Amino acid sequence: MASVELTGLAKRFGAVEVIRGLDLSVADGSFCALLGPSGCGKSTMLRMIAGLESVSEGQIRIGDTEVTHVEPAKRGVAMVFQNYALYPHLTVAQNITFSMSLAGDAKAKQAEAATRVAKMLQLEPLLGRRPAELSGGQRQRVAIGRALVRDPKVFLFDEPLSNLDALLRGQMRLELARLHADLGRTMIYVTHDQVEAMTLADKIVVLDKGKISQAGAPLDLYNAPANRFVAGFIGSPAMNFLPARASSTAKGLQVTLGAATMTLPARATFAAERPIELGVRPEDVRLTNSGDGTLPGRVAVVEALGNTTFVHVDTEFGQVNVESDPALRLEAGVNVALSFEKDKVHVFDAEGATLPKL
Amino acid sequence: MSNQHATPARRFDLGATLLTLLTIIAAAIWFFPVYWGIVTSLRYDDQTVKDFALIPMEPTLKNYIFDIQNSNLPIWYLNSTIVSVGVTFLVVFMGACTGFAISQLNFPGRKALWWMILASFMVPVSALIVNHFIIIADVKLLNTHLGIILPMLIAPVTVIVYKQFFDGLPKEFREAAVMDGATEFQLFFRVFLPMNWGVTTALAIITFIGAWNSFLWPFLAAQDEMMMTVTVGITAVQDTFGVAYGRVLAGAVLAGLPVATAYLLFQRRVTQAITLSAGIKG
Repeated sequence: MASVELTGLAKRFGAVEVIRGLDLSVADGSFCALLGPSGCGKSTMLRMIAGLESVSEGQIRIGDTEVTHVEPAKRGVAMVFQNYALYPHLTVAQNITFSMSLAGDAKAKQAEAATRVAKMLQLEPLLGRRPAELSGGQRQRVAIGRALVRDPKVFLFDEPLSNLDALLRGQMRLELARLHADLGRTMIYVTHDQVEAMTLADKIVVLDKGKISQAGAPLDLYNAPANRFVAGFIGSPAMNFLPARASSTAKGLQVTLGAATMTLPARATFAAERPIELGVRPEDVRLTNSGDGTLPGRVAVVEALGNTTFVHVDTEFGQVNVESDPALRLEAGVNVALSFEKDKVHVFDAEGATLPKL
Repeated sequence: MSNQHATPARRFDLGATLLTLLTIIAAAIWFFPVYWGIVTSLRYDDQTVKDFALIPMEPTLKNYIFDIQNSNLPIWYLNSTIVSVGVTFLVVFMGACTGFAISQLNFPGRKALWWMILASFMVPVSALIVNHFIIIADVKLLNTHLGIILPMLIAPVTVIVYKQFFDGLPKEFREAAVMDGATEFQLFFRVFLPMNWGVTTALAIITFIGAWNSFLWPFLAAQDEMMMTVTVGITAVQDTFGVAYGRVLAGAVLAGLPVATAYLLFQRRVTQAITLSAGIKG
């Protein structure tokens, strides 16, 4: 078991800087998710930890050892790839024990290891099959088995579930969570799916354009996003953003949203009125009768999911998504008004940084 | 109650039928000379210009027996086998190694080497044959197996095919093996080569057939009758027996038989191997 420490890590491809002076500490035994949109540098960062990508600047430590320039196989890490990377000419057992076979381990030792890992991952009946004869979920388990057999200090996962269908993804998420609980090893998991990150990780690192936008516990990121990017990226359905103007008062922030004014419990350094942006999650918006709430609108689309209903309301500031009571029967075209739970409204300044709460 | 699961009656497709007929006619036109050669080799000499039946009236193996007993055919077979197997092994192995190096390794001059190989592809072997003869004669390798084999190892197509296949493999296969501690040799022999087994089999068969059938260079390099390959040797049969069509064609059939048999035997294997190397189902 080992922690992972990245200090001043940078990666440049020619003149393009993909990772910019990044510092990160992943505690021993933690499940850390690297989350971000395509091209944010999360996979590059994982590949640098694995040793598959050279480091332009900075340092990588795994446990007590500096591994910045150490060969991938000698870092004590194992990686599970997005497309599984199983060798089609080898059986499941041979795929699992490939690293042992390269190292020249005895056949009996390899067979024992394959059986042990297969038992952990319910792959025992499949040991003699080739990858082409397996389903997507089974292939993913073999890829995990190949990592497990190396008994690494750190597991690296590069979007391992993105090739699976929604149902299988849910099942594999549970299996990964169980595996982490059983092994207690450090796991670093790259994903662009915030649901995967929220459900699996105890620490989420949100990356934007090669820099850490925010790092912390999943619910901390959800409830107290550091900026508009994180607020928009974490949460499904996404947060609603409304342009407004505000000035700082002793009681809080005096906000003007269209024709409505309200005081929000946020602190700002500016006294004169300035443009700001309000962020409110669908579950923190209330639907009221037309004329009652803060923001008037008209129902555009109703998505009844059974356990909850999402109502998309057209307002003068664009569409606002509201999570409402599933018992509520609404139809498109009905005039409504929206009100917000003031404590739950996030305020972002013109640069996108979250204004602190009072 | 109507049977809803009944297979609908197949409709007559005029276009497809015409195309099939055309293909059958083309195949028959292509195959007829081969067939005529075989049946002529099964006729007595005096019948070759009299008996024009599609099936010989009095079939005989006399021509084959005569060829085997009165020529160096077994030795030519042996020479052809040594040359073809040697060329096949060396061309495929060196092609795979070079393709792997150009595709996967980073070394100075890699691009220049690649361009040289591409350029060599554009020079016909016949344009170099005089140079080859002089060089092989200078190093005293004329009338030796090695002398026949060496110039036949110039096979840029093999390198190009391997490079393209190795380029096409997802980089994760390499990276997964590197993470597992594989060296470049292990990557080549345990990952890249087995994963392209279909290509290797196909290239080996094509190279073998090409080497067995090659005529010009073995004809120049093997002047001693005991060093001749089958393709060169049967020209000697023609010289010896004049215009004995049956004997000449029996020699040609014997010369082509191993190649045709090899292709027929390995045809299925090639298809299977290519299917395997196509990778994991989606």
